[in-house]
Amino acid sequence: MARIVVDPITRIEGHLRIEAVIEGGKITDAFSSGTMVRGFEKILKGRDPRDAWAFTERACGVCTTVHALASVRCVEDALKISVPKNAELIRNLMFCTQYVQDHVVHFYHLHALDWVDIVSTLKADPAETSKLAQSLSNWPKSSPGYFSDLQKRLKTYVGSGQLGIFANGYWGHPAYKLPPEVNLLAVAHYLEALEWQKEIVKIHAIFGGKNPHPNYLVGGVPCPINTDEVNALNTERLNHVGSLISGAMNFVEQVYIPDLMAIAGFYKDWAAIGSGLKNYMAYGDLPTRGYNYPEYFKFQRGAILNRNLNEVFDVNGRDSEEIKEYISHSWYKYADGDTKGLHPWQGETEFNFTGPKPPFEQLNVEGKYSWLKTPRWKDHPMEVGPLARLLVAFAKGNTEVKDVVTEALQKLNVPVDALFSTLGRTAARGLETRLVVRWMKEFYDQLIASIKGGDVNTFTREKWDPSTWPATAEGVGMTEAPRGALAHWIRIKDRLIDNYQLVVPSTWNASPRDAKGQRSAYEESLIGTPVANIEQPVEILRTIHSFDPCLACAVHIYDPEGKHVHQVQFN
Amino acid sequence: MNSNGNNHKSDTLILGIGNILMGDEGVGVRVVEEIQKARLPVNVTCLDGGTGSFLLLDPMQSAEKVILIDATVDGAPAGTLRRLQPRFSSDYPRTLTAHDIGLKDLLDTFYLLGNQPEVVLYAVSIPPLHEMGLDLTPQVASRIPEIARQILAEVNE
Repeated sequence: MARIVVDPITRIEGHLRIEAVIEGGKITDAFSSGTMVRGFEKILKGRDPRDAWAFTERACGVCTTVHALASVRCVEDALKISVPKNAELIRNLMFCTQYVQDHVVHFYHLHALDWVDIVSTLKADPAETSKLAQSLSNWPKSSPGYFSDLQKRLKTYVGSGQLGIFANGYWGHPAYKLPPEVNLLAVAHYLEALEWQKEIVKIHAIFGGKNPHPNYLVGGVPCPINTDEVNALNTERLNHVGSLISGAMNFVEQVYIPDLMAIAGFYKDWAAIGSGLKNYMAYGDLPTRGYNYPEYFKFQRGAILNRNLNEVFDVNGRDSEEIKEYISHSWYKYADGDTKGLHPWQGETEFNFTGPKPPFEQLNVEGKYSWLKTPRWKDHPMEVGPLARLLVAFAKGNTEVKDVVTEALQKLNVPVDALFSTLGRTAARGLETRLVVRWMKEFYDQLIASIKGGDVNTFTREKWDPSTWPATAEGVGMTEAPRGALAHWIRIKDRLIDNYQLVVPSTWNASPRDAKGQRSAYEESLIGTPVANIEQPVEILRTIHSFDPCLACAVHIYDPEGKHVHQVQFN
Repeated sequence: MNSNGNNHKSDTLILGIGNILMGDEGVGVRVVEEIQKARLPVNVTCLDGGTGSFLLLDPMQSAEKVILIDATVDGAPAGTLRRLQPRFSSDYPRTLTAHDIGLKDLLDTFYLLGNQPEVVLYAVSIPPLHEMGLDLTPQVASRIPEIARQILAEVNE
C-alpha cells in the first residue's frame, strides 16, 4: 500500500492538498484538504451591507463577478428589493460572460494539459493537423502553414529550457492517448483561447465600468442607459456587446465543442472513472421573471439523490434544516461544540488549527484536517457544478438541456450513465457553455428591445436609504458560480452587517468528511481511480481538475513551502 | 479597462497586483492608489489589477512597458523593495499564490505569443500572513510613499 500526497494541486486557483491511499494500482481512500484559511466573514462584520459586494468580489481572481452577484442578492433578499427588468438582463449578461470565459479558460488552460501532451506536439505532422482541423469545423485558422509556424515556435520555446506554463505536466506518461496531431491542434487552440478570452471579458467593463473587479449595485446595476450619451451605456457600446456575443458563439461552436468532442473520443475509458457521489445539487440562476421565481430560471434549482433522475427535490436556502455546515474535520470551533451543524445564518468563523506544522508527511485524517468546513444538504453530501446543473435540468425535463446532452452522447456513442464520471463533468461544462452563449443572445435581444421600447431604468432607489430598513433583517443570495452552487447569507442589525457567511462551490466539493464519515465529492470521486505510476499521478489531476477547483474563495493564506508531489510509502 | 471596453493605448502601464483582503498582500494595489494621486505623464496609465489573473492579459499586451508591483514572501525584511526584470515565470519571486493563476503564466504566454511587453517588477517583501484583514503592517505601509516615488521617477525619466 502506498500513500501519495499531491500538494499543491497545480493549475487551480487557491491551494488544495490531496492524500490518496493506493492498493493494487487503484485508489482505495482519499482525503482532500484546503490548506489556506479563510476569514473574510470577519472583515465584513460591522460594515454597510451595500458595500459588501466590493469586498467579496476580491475573494478570488477567477469568479469575481459571481461573488458580487451573490452579495447584492443577499442584501436585496433581506431588504425585499426587486431589481428592474433591465438590471436583471444586464446581470444575466455579466453572468453569462463569466461562464463562457471561465469555462473556456478552464478547458484549455487549466484542464487540457491533463489530456494533451505538450511535448508530443513536436512530433506532429502539421499537414495532418490541418486536415483534422478542417474536418472538425469551419474555423479559419486551420492551414498547414499555421500549424507548422506554431510548431516552430513551440520548438524554440521548449529548446529555451523555460517550459514555464507547461512545466508541471507528466509528459510522456502512458495515460496520454492523443496522437501528436491532435495535441498540436489543442495547443494551437490553447493559445487562441487566451487571445479570445481577452475580448469576451470586455463585456464586464462595458456594463461594470471597469475590469478586473467590475462594479455592482444593490437595487440594480450601476450602468445608466442613454443611447446618445458618451459616458452611458450607448448605442456604440451595445453594438460592441452584440458583436462580442457573436464572436463567443463562433468560438464555442467552432473551436471549444469540436475540440472537446475530439479529445473525449480518445478518452472514453474516463466515462467509467471518477463517478463519485450520487447526489447532485444546483441553486440555479439566470432569472427571467425575477430572482424570487426560480421555476423560471434558465438553470433550474433542485437536488437529486442517489442518481434518481425521476425525482428532483426543492432546495430552500432559508430553511435552517436544509443547508448546514459541519466542522468535525475542519480547523474551526463552534461555541456549542463541534458536532452540531450550523445553518449559515447562525454560522460561526472561529479558527482552531490543530494540524501539524509544515513541513509534515501526512495529515491526521482521524481528526481535523482541512480549512474547509463541510456543508451538507439535509445531511447528504452533494456534488455541485456543471454536471449537477445539467442533471437537475435534465431530470426536470428541460428540453434545451436534453437536446444538447443527447446529441453529445450519440456523437460519442456512450450511454447516459457515462455522464456520472470525470469525462461527464468535463463534457457537461462544454455543453452548458453552448447553451449559455445562446441564452446570452436571447438576453441581449431582450435588452435591446426593452431599450427601444423606451425603458432605460436600471436601478430602484426604493430601500436605498438605510432609514427605511427594519431594525433586523436576514437574506440569502443564491447563484451558480461556474464551478457550482454559491450562496451568501447575511444578517443585518441596526443597518450594519451582523453576520455574513459564504458557502462556496469548492466547499461543497472539496470539503473533508462529515462526522458520520461520509466523504465529500472530491474524496469520493477518487475511489477506484487507477494510478499507473505513483510518481506521476496524472489520474488524480484529471478527476480533481474535472471539478474545476477554485480554492481561493474557500480558503485564504497558505504557508508557501510546498512540494508538488510528495510520496510516502508505508507497510 | 474602461467602460468602452477598450484600454487606453499607452506606452507604460503601472499595474498593482494583489489581494487587498489579505493585508500586506495587497501592497501592489495600495502603491497604485498612491501613484494615482500624482500627475502622470500622458503616456502612462495606472491599473488596480487586484486578483485579475487572465483578465490582465489584454491591458498588459496593450502596453509597451509594464511596471508590475507585487508582494513577495521571500524572507527579506518587510518593506524591502527590489526592482527586477523577470523574463520567464521561473524568474518571478515567490508570492502568496491566491492570484498566481495566470499572472506568472502570462509572462510565458507573452513569449509564446511573440508580442511581449517589457516587464519591470517592483517586488515588495512582506511578512508571512496569518489572518485576513484590510490593514497593512506598519513596516510595509510606511514604505508606500517611497515605492511610489521611485516608480514615478522611472516613468518620468
